Amino acid sequence: MIAAKGVHKWFGTLHVLKGVDLTVEKGDVLVIVGPSGSGKSTLLRCLNLLVIPDEGDILIDGVKVNDPKVRPEWVRQQVGMVFQSFNLFTHLTALENVVIGLRKVKRMPRADAERIALRELERVGLADKAEAYPAQLSGGQQQRVAIARALALNPKAVLFDEPTSALDPESIREVLGVMMKLADEGMTMVVVTHEMGFAKTVADEVLFMADGQILERGTPGELFAHPRTDRARAFVSQVLG
Amino acid sequence: MGIAAGAAVAAILVVLDLGLYGLFDVDYALRILPALSRGLTATLGLVVIVIPLGFLLGFAFGWGRTSHNGVLRWFSTSYVEFFRSMPPIVLIVFTYLITLALLAGNERFDATELAPAVSIVALAAHSGAYQAEIVRAGILSVPESQREAAEAIGMTREQIMYNVTLPQMFRVSLPALGNEFASVIKDTSLLATVSILELTFIGVNLVSTLIQRGGNPDLVFVVWIEIAALYFVLTFAVSRILHTVERRYRVPGLEAPQL
Ligand SMILES: Nc1ncnc2c1ncn2[C@@H]1O[C@H](COP(=O)(O)OP(=O)(O)OP(=O)(O)O)[C@@H](O)[C@H]1O
Ligand SMILES: [Mg+2]
Repeated sequence: MIAAKGVHKWFGTLHVLKGVDLTVEKGDVLVIVGPSGSGKSTLLRCLNLLVIPDEGDILIDGVKVNDPKVRPEWVRQQVGMVFQSFNLFTHLTALENVVIGLRKVKRMPRADAERIALRELERVGLADKAEAYPAQLSGGQQQRVAIARALALNPKAVLFDEPTSALDPESIREVLGVMMKLADEGMTMVVVTHEMGFAKTVADEVLFMADGQILERGTPGELFAHPRTDRARAFVSQVLG
Repeated sequence: MGIAAGAAVAAILVVLDLGLYGLFDVDYALRILPALSRGLTATLGLVVIVIPLGFLLGFAFGWGRTSHNGVLRWFSTSYVEFFRSMPPIVLIVFTYLITLALLAGNERFDATELAPAVSIVALAAHSGAYQAEIVRAGILSVPESQREAAEAIGMTREQIMYNVTLPQMFRVSLPALGNEFASVIKDTSLLATVSILELTFIGVNLVSTLIQRGGNPDLVFVVWIEIAALYFVLTFAVSRILHTVERRYRVPGLEAPQL
């Protein structure tokens, strides 16, 4: 469904992605792990064209989308994103945060947009917080609203960039719970995370990234139990140990 | 209610002066009130021109200063630096003189009418430079991550500007803008130097008439107390209006810095 083919990215002279290939099938959960600075966020941002690859292709359903003929706004509707620091719109209530995409991007009438937004908030267990502003919500609640905001546009897939790294243990459980439910419902997901428990339970495939390259890929069982490269071994023992 | 409070404070000021000097001639005060009210109306008219015009300029150049386009940024910065480093009265007088010079011998326009009008624009340009800095600070106060989140749901640049950056910038900038508006109201008095018939100009005229006719010089105080009270009422009213707007749009987590 989503694929990256030979993706390179430079920031100035810094070669951040050095020919990355990946494929996520419909309904699959792909987890990306790797040390800080290895290019995980950059890769994720390439998938919804927040970052435009310098070389290589991004494909959605086999169609090349990093192409001047394709509007990046359209691509971002197809592929939702959830950020480490939630990034809810500060001036809008939880409900309005979800409504705004439906209204502005999907051009839906207000009544329809609010109905769908409420449904999405219910899905993440926050219907009762619809009128709260982000500053009035806990980190876990904000992240769940952010997930609802991404889901409301009915994307083909959702990208998660370390969605629980800024959260306390209680909130981590809340958010992982929502993500596991999503995975169960068959949502296609690409998740950068260091939550090995989550990766082991729901990932169909795990990629280990280092220095802008994918060094290893496999099922969570394979990759965590029997890492083949030294770097992956060091990383796994550090994160799991 | 706010306006009433302002009037009350103004009245107290007047009464205090009355007590201090024992010279408040109520008859004279009432006699000059119609003339000063006309001045107040004219000042209000100036305010209604200068504030929106200054805001438009401030908005355009403030936005320009945060632009990725180097030329636009350079141009906007030059504008701000130039107009901020001139006393408004110098700008007003210069603009007046230049307009007069340019229109010398021109039959189609009446220079004596046009020159003061152009001076009004000079004052707006001055305020625009200050407002540009307020707008710039407001824009910079909106974290890049907010725009990125908007991009990630497929909003276009224009939609992000209208729905994310502007509403947040506006809330953060309101107190500073209110301050600047109050400044502009008082700065309109500088337009008296180019013979615009606003509150201060009419007050000054009343005083010179009084002196010429050999009236009681103590009455000069009455004129200036009345002028002060009228400026106070106007500024106070505008400040109350902005305060109401601020309260109306207040959102937890986006509290504007208190000045
Ligand atoms: N917009 C940018 N401009 C310049 N350099 C950047 C930019 N974004 C990322 N980088 C650099 O690219 C490299 C990879 O960054 P990236 O954020 O993709 O890593 P990461 O694997 O997500 O790391 P982390 O685990 O810390 O989030 C880093 O050296 C980073 O400093
Ligand atoms: Mg990252």
